[in-house]
Amino acid sequence: MALDPPQPSLAEQPGPSIGVDEWVARQATRREYPPGLRGELQRRLERVGWWPRLAIAAALGALIPQLGLTQFQLQIGINALILATLAVGLNVAVGWAGLLDLGYIAFYGFGAYGFALLSSNQLDQPHGIHLPAYASIPAIMVAAAILGLLVGLPSRRLIGDYLAIVTLFFGEAFATFVNVVAPSKLGGANGIFAIDPIRGFGSAITSNQGYFYLMLILLVATIAVLHLLDTSRTGRAWRAVREDPLAASMMTVPVNRVKLMAFAFGAMVAAMTGTVFAAQQTSVFPTDFDTSFLILIYAALILGGAGSIAGAVLGGLLVEIVLDGVLRSPTQAGYVFYGLILLTMVVRLRPWRRLAGVLAAIVAFGFAVHAIVSAISASAVAGGPQSSGWIHSALKDWVVVPLNHAGNIPAGYGNVGFAVLICLLIALTRLRDWWRTALLVPTVYLAACVWESRLIVEPSITRLILLGAILIVVMNARPQGLLGARRVEIV
Amino acid sequence: MRLFIQELVNGLTQGSVYALIALGYSMVYGILKLLNFAHGDLYMVGAFVGYFVIQWFGGANHLAVPVPVLLLVMFLLAGGGVGALGVVIERFAYRPLRNAPRIAPLITALGVSFFLENTALLFFGGSYRIYNTSSFISFSTGIHIGVLNVDIVRIMVIVLSVALMIALQLIVHRTRLGRQMRAVAADREAAEMLGIDVDFTIAATFFLGSALAGISGVMAGLVYNSVWNYMGFTAGLYAFTAAVVGGIGSISGAVLGGLLIGLAQSFITGYVSSLYTDLIVFGILIAVMLVRPSGLLGRVQLQKV
Amino acid sequence: MKPRITVAALALAALIAAGCGSSSSSSSSGGSTKSASTGSSSSKNCTASIGIEAPITGQVAVLGDEQLAFAKMAVANDNKANGTNITLVQGDTQLTPSLATTVTQQFISNPKILAVVGPAGSQEVEAVGPLFARAGMAFVSGSATKTTLTDGANPTFFRVVSRDSVQGPEDANFVINHLHPKALMIIDDQEAYSTGLVGVMIPIFQKAGIRVDHESVSQKVTDFSSLVAKITPQMTVAVLPWQVAANAEQFGKNLQEQHKNVTIVGTDGLYSPSSFTIPGSYVSSFGPDITAIPADASLVAQAKAAFPKFGTFGPPVYAATHVIDEAIAQACKSGTPTRSSVLAAIRATDEPSSILGQPIKFDSHGDLVGAKWFLFHINSQGKYQLVTNS
Repeated sequence: MALDPPQPSLAEQPGPSIGVDEWVARQATRREYPPGLRGELQRRLERVGWWPRLAIAAALGALIPQLGLTQFQLQIGINALILATLAVGLNVAVGWAGLLDLGYIAFYGFGAYGFALLSSNQLDQPHGIHLPAYASIPAIMVAAAILGLLVGLPSRRLIGDYLAIVTLFFGEAFATFVNVVAPSKLGGANGIFAIDPIRGFGSAITSNQGYFYLMLILLVATIAVLHLLDTSRTGRAWRAVREDPLAASMMTVPVNRVKLMAFAFGAMVAAMTGTVFAAQQTSVFPTDFDTSFLILIYAALILGGAGSIAGAVLGGLLVEIVLDGVLRSPTQAGYVFYGLILLTMVVRLRPWRRLAGVLAAIVAFGFAVHAIVSAISASAVAGGPQSSGWIHSALKDWVVVPLNHAGNIPAGYGNVGFAVLICLLIALTRLRDWWRTALLVPTVYLAACVWESRLIVEPSITRLILLGAILIVVMNARPQGLLGARRVEIV
Repeated sequence: MRLFIQELVNGLTQGSVYALIALGYSMVYGILKLLNFAHGDLYMVGAFVGYFVIQWFGGANHLAVPVPVLLLVMFLLAGGGVGALGVVIERFAYRPLRNAPRIAPLITALGVSFFLENTALLFFGGSYRIYNTSSFISFSTGIHIGVLNVDIVRIMVIVLSVALMIALQLIVHRTRLGRQMRAVAADREAAEMLGIDVDFTIAATFFLGSALAGISGVMAGLVYNSVWNYMGFTAGLYAFTAAVVGGIGSISGAVLGGLLIGLAQSFITGYVSSLYTDLIVFGILIAVMLVRPSGLLGRVQLQKV
Repeated sequence: MKPRITVAALALAALIAAGCGSSSSSSSSGGSTKSASTGSSSSKNCTASIGIEAPITGQVAVLGDEQLAFAKMAVANDNKANGTNITLVQGDTQLTPSLATTVTQQFISNPKILAVVGPAGSQEVEAVGPLFARAGMAFVSGSATKTTLTDGANPTFFRVVSRDSVQGPEDANFVINHLHPKALMIIDDQEAYSTGLVGVMIPIFQKAGIRVDHESVSQKVTDFSSLVAKITPQMTVAVLPWQVAANAEQFGKNLQEQHKNVTIVGTDGLYSPSSFTIPGSYVSSFGPDITAIPADASLVAQAKAAFPKFGTFGPPVYAATHVIDEAIAQACKSGTPTRSSVLAAIRATDEPSSILGQPIKFDSHGDLVGAKWFLFHINSQGKYQLVTNS
């Protein structure tokens, strides 16, 4: 009628209309993009669509072995893909359904041992069982799903951390089980070796490159299947159960069944990964499946962002490449160490003039200290920086590294320096303004000295110390993980 | 009979050490809902502190001070030092994550754990450090009646655990600080609105919990002699288990959980076979959890809508 | 703030990419044993790298620590003696075969590394043997004793210690013939080394009519009171084929505490004059007591300075590293050393004496010729005395 207020058309502004929930309908417009280049990039990326994005990522991944990598780098790649797949599987239970599954490693081990038993001479001696991969892997995955259901059964009665501890028991029990029970059948502490590679239809995969492609295909397939699940009713049910199980059950979500499904899917992914692991290593041992590896998977998942597939993949790739690929080599560990220090200063010091001033002050401070100390005592600077390459020549007259009478670098110097460094870092966070900038100079210099005299001499230990420090710093800076979404947990 | 009593004593000792670690764990857990994976490594730091105190006083074979003085200094230094370390860790690693989803501080705790373990490896090397308790507290002191052979160190461990548990119960239920702790554990925002200094309360909780871990580290060193940088890993796992099996946030529950695990291990090793000890203990614990889903002494959680 | 983070992240990624890109060409180590600043070695023409695979971190870091210290000692001494410029590259395996595979591939991909010391565990050798064979690179272990390792599956594998098939039966027969127990307790520590020995020894005991109580504890356990309480008066012997001496010491203390009169018989892991000193015990070892070998006096002094509480895992690694150092020096004489020339030189090793107090020569399988097995008795002062060797 003429006196009615003009109704906005649907094209301009989705307002109230019959059959459409306005709040839901406005969801797309409610998204706020960060300003500038980042927002533009994100908008374009999202317009590409999920499946093309997956295809692009897969294509990029497939190009990697073509770059002429060494066997070691391919092995790191395979390990990274395995960790990424495990993280994606764990994401189902932990990220989507909100269940703390601390027994996840048992499914991985189950897959590996299952494949080992079905593809080696272990059972049914002397010839053993040697099923082709296309027969054994699906069977193992089904068995793992059933095992996942069994492990998830306590979730009917237990919630939260109580469920977590029961899953932890299962996880620990598995490692103990294969170590102690029936050693002649399961290998015991000696493990099972001489496992067949992935065989089927006449050919077998034996090279690192082959396994890389196989893992890439499996990862992409897993991501595709899980994405379909995530966008289906099951995915929405998982999210509902994660946020508020009681409300979800009121909305007719079958909470128990949903939880069991989360466990089962996670178990299947883990078991599948385990079979490839066993085939590539050609041997399995109980020590491969203990709690320390579970910790790594959790670190990868949460670092990358629990609840997001891309986050899980990124976390897995990053953790493995940094931990095993980069930090195992002392030179590259040095790059990471110095690089992180410089990066932190670049990010936190502004304006540019201040940054330049601080860097100049650090360099000058170093030379001054070195000159003074070498004037006092020659042996106090006799040891040079223990890095090699250009870092060594650059820092030769800058860091103070002493030598004792026997011609070795005294470990005490480095240890005390490390302790003092930690105290200085703590003090740095308490100070403000000029004091903070002033203290930064000797702190960075001390860090370099400690690195050159002690930390780089023990690269294997430093690797893990750096990992711990990186985990602390990254989680403090970004608690939701790299690609996670900020959530508010209602406790 | 002799076997029974011996296993009982062993189980109580082992269980008391677990219980002490679980106590500290449970306190932090109750107030912050934080799975503090670094708690076991605080226990390790305490054990090392005790070792260095012994060395400072001349070493296990040439002690310069009487044993009670040595013990007092060890406990005070370990408790105070590790307590302070716990407060520092809380301030810098956990406080920024107080409002983040629970899973984020889990990884920070893991990072702290890696950091502590490997820093200890860097400083002290991989060698086991030995307390050599029998050099300054000989085995002949203790109860030796007939078939019962109990060393005084074990008695001290059990007694001290009980005393500390009672002290902790008194603190939590009878002092103002304890009231504040319980308030913050129940509802942090409401406690803040009532004027309770939440930061201080949480720091105090960490101090107490970490001090307990440090003291249990010294006790473990006295009874088990061996101290090395990874000893906290398994201890932390047992502490978590005991705290949850006993009921989250319940102090007596944590103690009960610890004792249960210790006794179960002891008796199964003694009467069945050490081969299957772990498996059977896990089975028992799973059964306990299924029968009592909120832990042994835990309160049934009300699900808020 | 946010654009800076993006910049920072991109820069970090570029850094890592640069690092990875340069890894194939220049992954030399900083963990060198040269302590002088700009490399004061006398002859630059024999430059090579050796890898060492050991459990430097992880549950048995105590063993890896010792092995690493002795390897560093060997490289330093041999560089000085031969005028070579050999550097040591660390590879931490945590005694886990999957990590050993990763580390091995890292070493194989590094063209500077010509040979590898280690790995420490027999199961690790099984996992990495084929990789080394394919790369044609030699690896010499100072502690992998599983018998089947030298049966042909690992053609480039050498070891400077005796095998389980020698040690197991010898120890068992000694116990039967000299200690005459009616019953005994044998405890494994759930590692492949231990379970292998236990598996060999139990049938021998049973055939001799001795009642055997087989127990099992993990290496993380440090209290054995529950096990000790189970020991009946007839059990006069406890066999502990463990890797961690400190645990065995604690076992002995628990025995004293509960007034049980039991003789401990241990194997290599227990051999540690500073960590395991329970009087009356017997320890068999694949390595000699180097403190008792006069020719090793200066080495012992060096070792005590570097690693005071060494046991039996260090000296064989010293010998293994020394073998490789000598092989590299030998290969240098005919030009630039390569992996195959070093492998050939190791095969032809013929050292008349060594830290182990015996000549080093390898048979066609890679085993040490004349590998000895030593048995020590700990007297009432806690000192080790050689009983017999064969």
